[in-house]
Amino acid sequence: MKLTELIDSGKFVVTGEVGPPKGTDLSDLVKEAKTLMPAVDAINVTDMQSATMYLGSLATCHIFKENDLEPVYQLTCRDRNRIALQSDLLSAVTLGIENVLILTGDHPLMGDHPQAKPVYDVDSVQLLEIASHLGEGEDMVGNELNGKLDLCLGAVVRPIAEPLEPQIIKLEKKVKAGARFIQTQGVFDASHFEKFMNAIQHIDVPILVGIILLKSDRMARFMNKNVAGVEVPEPLVEEMANAKSKAKTSVQIAGRLINEMKDMCQGVHIMSLGWEKRVPEVLAAAGLYELPKKKKKKKVE
Amino acid sequence: MIVADQKPINEILGMLERYDKVLFVGCQTCVAVCMAGGEKETGVLASLVRLARQKAGQPIEIDEAAIQRQCEEEFIEPLEADGYQAILSLGCGVGVNKLADHFGIPVLPGLNTGFMGHIEEHGVWAETCAGCGDCVLHRTGGICPVVRCAKSLMNGPCGGYTDDGLCESGTGAPCAWIAIYKRLKELGLLESMTETSPPKDWSKDRFSGPRTRVREDVRL
Amino acid sequence: MGTEKREAHHYTTYAYNAEIKEKRPYPPCRAACPVNTDVQGYVGLIAQGRYEDAFELIHAVNPIASTCSLICHHPCEQECRRNDVDEPLAIRHLKRFALEQATEYRRKKRKPIPQTKEESIAIIGSGPAGLTAANDLAELGYKVTVFERHPTLGGMLSSAIPPYRLSREALQEDIDDVLAKGIEARTNCQIGKDLTLNDLTEEYDAVLIAVGLSLSRSLPIPGVDAPDVLLAIPFLNDVAYGKQPKVGEKVLVIGGGNVAIDVARSARRLGCEHVEMVCLESAEEMPAWSWEVEEAAEEAIEVHHRWGPQAIRVNDGKVEGLEVVKVKSVFDEDGRFSPVFYDDQTSFIPADTIIITIGQMSDLSFLEGTPVEVDERGRLIWDRDTQMSSADGIFTTGEVITGPGSAIAAAANGHRAAKAIDLYLRGEDIKLGLVAEEKETILAFPEELVQKLSKQSREKIVHLAPKIRTSNFDLFEVGYEEQAALMEARRCRTCGGGAIVNAAQCAACLTCLRICPYDAPLVTSKAQMIPEICQVCGLCAAECPGLAINMVSYDAGEFREHMSDIIGDVDPERDAPILVAFRCNHNAGVNGDQLPDNVRPVHMHCVSRLDVLDLLKAFECGADGAYVMICDEENGKYKNVPSRVKKRIEYVRQLISNIGLESERLSYFEAGTHPDEVWRQAARKMTEKVKALGKD
Repeated sequence: MKLTELIDSGKFVVTGEVGPPKGTDLSDLVKEAKTLMPAVDAINVTDMQSATMYLGSLATCHIFKENDLEPVYQLTCRDRNRIALQSDLLSAVTLGIENVLILTGDHPLMGDHPQAKPVYDVDSVQLLEIASHLGEGEDMVGNELNGKLDLCLGAVVRPIAEPLEPQIIKLEKKVKAGARFIQTQGVFDASHFEKFMNAIQHIDVPILVGIILLKSDRMARFMNKNVAGVEVPEPLVEEMANAKSKAKTSVQIAGRLINEMKDMCQGVHIMSLGWEKRVPEVLAAAGLYELPKKKKKKKVE
Repeated sequence: MIVADQKPINEILGMLERYDKVLFVGCQTCVAVCMAGGEKETGVLASLVRLARQKAGQPIEIDEAAIQRQCEEEFIEPLEADGYQAILSLGCGVGVNKLADHFGIPVLPGLNTGFMGHIEEHGVWAETCAGCGDCVLHRTGGICPVVRCAKSLMNGPCGGYTDDGLCESGTGAPCAWIAIYKRLKELGLLESMTETSPPKDWSKDRFSGPRTRVREDVRL
Repeated sequence: MGTEKREAHHYTTYAYNAEIKEKRPYPPCRAACPVNTDVQGYVGLIAQGRYEDAFELIHAVNPIASTCSLICHHPCEQECRRNDVDEPLAIRHLKRFALEQATEYRRKKRKPIPQTKEESIAIIGSGPAGLTAANDLAELGYKVTVFERHPTLGGMLSSAIPPYRLSREALQEDIDDVLAKGIEARTNCQIGKDLTLNDLTEEYDAVLIAVGLSLSRSLPIPGVDAPDVLLAIPFLNDVAYGKQPKVGEKVLVIGGGNVAIDVARSARRLGCEHVEMVCLESAEEMPAWSWEVEEAAEEAIEVHHRWGPQAIRVNDGKVEGLEVVKVKSVFDEDGRFSPVFYDDQTSFIPADTIIITIGQMSDLSFLEGTPVEVDERGRLIWDRDTQMSSADGIFTTGEVITGPGSAIAAAANGHRAAKAIDLYLRGEDIKLGLVAEEKETILAFPEELVQKLSKQSREKIVHLAPKIRTSNFDLFEVGYEEQAALMEARRCRTCGGGAIVNAAQCAACLTCLRICPYDAPLVTSKAQMIPEICQVCGLCAAECPGLAINMVSYDAGEFREHMSDIIGDVDPERDAPILVAFRCNHNAGVNGDQLPDNVRPVHMHCVSRLDVLDLLKAFECGADGAYVMICDEENGKYKNVPSRVKKRIEYVRQLISNIGLESERLSYFEAGTHPDEVWRQAARKMTEKVKALGKD
């Protein structure tokens, strides 16, 4: 189901995120996704995140479909030229994929193959335009396509940046190019997010605020130092540091953040980074999900 | 200017292994200015190679020459290479190609040719033009996104720039798009950033085979 | 001359680069010198301890160099650009030092010049002008005969300059150099008495009149005929020849010029304790050099300024003193000598001996009955364009035509006369041949540059105490010790000896512009170096990627070109490692380093010129190690040197370690305040360190 349809129906949309493995065995990933799926509307499948070589997003999305999991197909500009990108979009449609998130992609220098030749034939704005154009029945140079393409295109934005204006300008361009939903980089401060939302009032597009699950204070500090646009406020870092149960505190924090921001936007995108099984608890803490009653242990086996 | 860097000495020694009489040819234009292959650097490299070969018990005879521009036939013409087993060129790749075309002996590259650039400060050279064949600088405040953005983005920054305005790639380079944004703002031309740039025509770049330029009126 | 190996294992260079220098603007010192001595060149050689080479450079243009080293009024020092920084370089005194050091050398190299030309020349007078002309003409292969009426050669230098200023030994060295060229000298031979000018014109193809100003002017005042009223020149002649002229207990010298000072100071040395001078001029107007006036004052000689002589009071044949009248002004509005007196203000200066020293004139009586004409005032008529008198083939030179001046100016004119005679004898156009090219002179240091230049006081010139020196006629000035001379020589800013660009090699890369601490380069389509600003540090030459920069005062490539000579044969069985040690002259100390045999010292005026190529070359030519002694930023002569040189050393260390040589083989040492000690220890430390690493 397209995310736009859910949004249009007035639902507060929730997406999760998983990354395909290095290898060919998807069984664990599918299992994790299944624990996640009841609590979310769709699951992003990353496209070789952090410029690291993994099993492909497209194949994973296809397997998800076969397992009744609703994927958001992430597609970056890093590794494919315009020919391959258009072709992959056609493939996605053929495989029944409906949601596509278009990104620039981390630079190969940040990944495990820094010697790779980056492609970036087109950028994210241009790829959104190309994808929109495919929906009109022709490829980017005007050749007619058979069959129908009706993709729900999404894009990303970084809500906390200095300067912020270039992000907003680019967001405008992405929306103009056909982005129908926006997922943001992880936000840890509701007041920052509010400022951002005020700054983009003129842009008519649903925003899904990004929530990253903190695993420890060390991870928080690492992100503060190394991940552009992510700022974990010191009290939250302290809270994690003093936590008796990191997992519990992490869930509390994420739930609290969603609660603080859910009225400002149209959805939430949770980046659980391997803690997929905590996502339902987070959503429950945010009042967006009701946890199923615990079954007895025996029955699990 | 064309900016190059000397190859690691061990790579050069490897290339020269089979020779014991070689001519080193420097170039007195771009690579002299970027201190990679002018007469001085030619002397330094020759001295170092002789020293290394002496040390290895395999002395090598090296003569040194430097010509004005290795990319011009007329400057190459007076160079005598008789009696040498090979030439090591300290010109840019263009010079190596030209010398190799001219002489009937192996011509080896002493440099890794880098980029077209400028001097940021004495001893620091930076790339500022990719020679993409399809200039967009009028839209970007004179700051080239093709080469100064690691991803050659045409429509604004990715989400990776640091608070100091540096590129996410960790090379220490400034984010080209933050620079473009600031420049356009200063110039009062920020609206040119809001216009979507269409996909670039890369066929004008080097990806379509060697490029040539012809001006019929000046041909001889 | 270029470069050479000085002595075993001690390499310093300082190219004359005479040809390049001729094409460049002169530094003010050289421009001020009447014979254009390459001051910067020889001072640089002294700084390196190369005294014989310094002698050669000095002597090449000045045959009376030793004389000048004692008595020259040194216009070079007056023009020295160090005046704007602190004090001028003691150029004359350095010249003296170099010449004294080179005495044995110059004696050994004296030899006759073969006579290659048919013509012969007679020179009348052997003063600076005559002697110089004789020297030049002998050099050109002519047969030269000098006629001198005195028993000794040298003209006034020998017969009038008192020996306390000019030692006869020094003068003799100059004369001997000239005579050794095969010149015939006929002393005690006065033309007009022993021979006539016509005798000479018959026997010689050309004659040069260089008779100078041998007669003292007297005063048209009452009493001048008294026996104790003396004239300067006869008095000085007697002093010069040791005749001990008799003076009374109170001597009064009339006159305010340099000769008057000579007379007064001589009178002091004859035992007279009360010597006074009287002159028309004020202290500021006095024509004598200020330093000579000061030296006279030290010897208790009092000067009565602004008094004009009116009459000598004589009683019973004995001089009682001088009646004087107050001077209102000495010069007219146009600066011409035209004294005006207050007739009503008179005074009396008691004295029992009066010596009149108000000027000289030439004795031209020998010209009577010859074709050489004199003007209505008795002056020799001559052509400034050709140095020729009114008679064909009879030339003239020196003070007889130029009027009173310095010895070196007379020598300069002697050069010109010799050239004129040569042109004449070769049948060439004299006027055309004598036209001298107008030389550009480099200008003063710009004000903002002066602020960047390090200060260093002038090494003091020692004079004997007045009490001691007035008791005899011995030279009153003491020569420099070697250490002082080296220190002083290193004060030279080497003006005009700086960077030059070979435009064909220049890529206009702007490196020089960026590297120069003084902003000397100007780069448009090619680099140009502004000679006024360049301080000759050599930083630019060592950094230029096109090897386009060289220096006027030295060859930037000389070390690498001569590195095999510097290192010499490398014994494969050597026990001690061969080390090349670089340091600047500033830290070099006096000659004769006590360094172990395995160390090859290389000296240069500043290590700023030390190139990556030079350092690499040392290893390539067989050195097992190398090191550099570096001044610190504060004590160094130039700016920005230590950091730059250390970077180069670090770069070479990297290069050699890339090919498997231990980077420790190249090192540097900070000179600090005891460079000699550091130098000695560096040799020991590096020898040990490199020995442990083994042969390279």
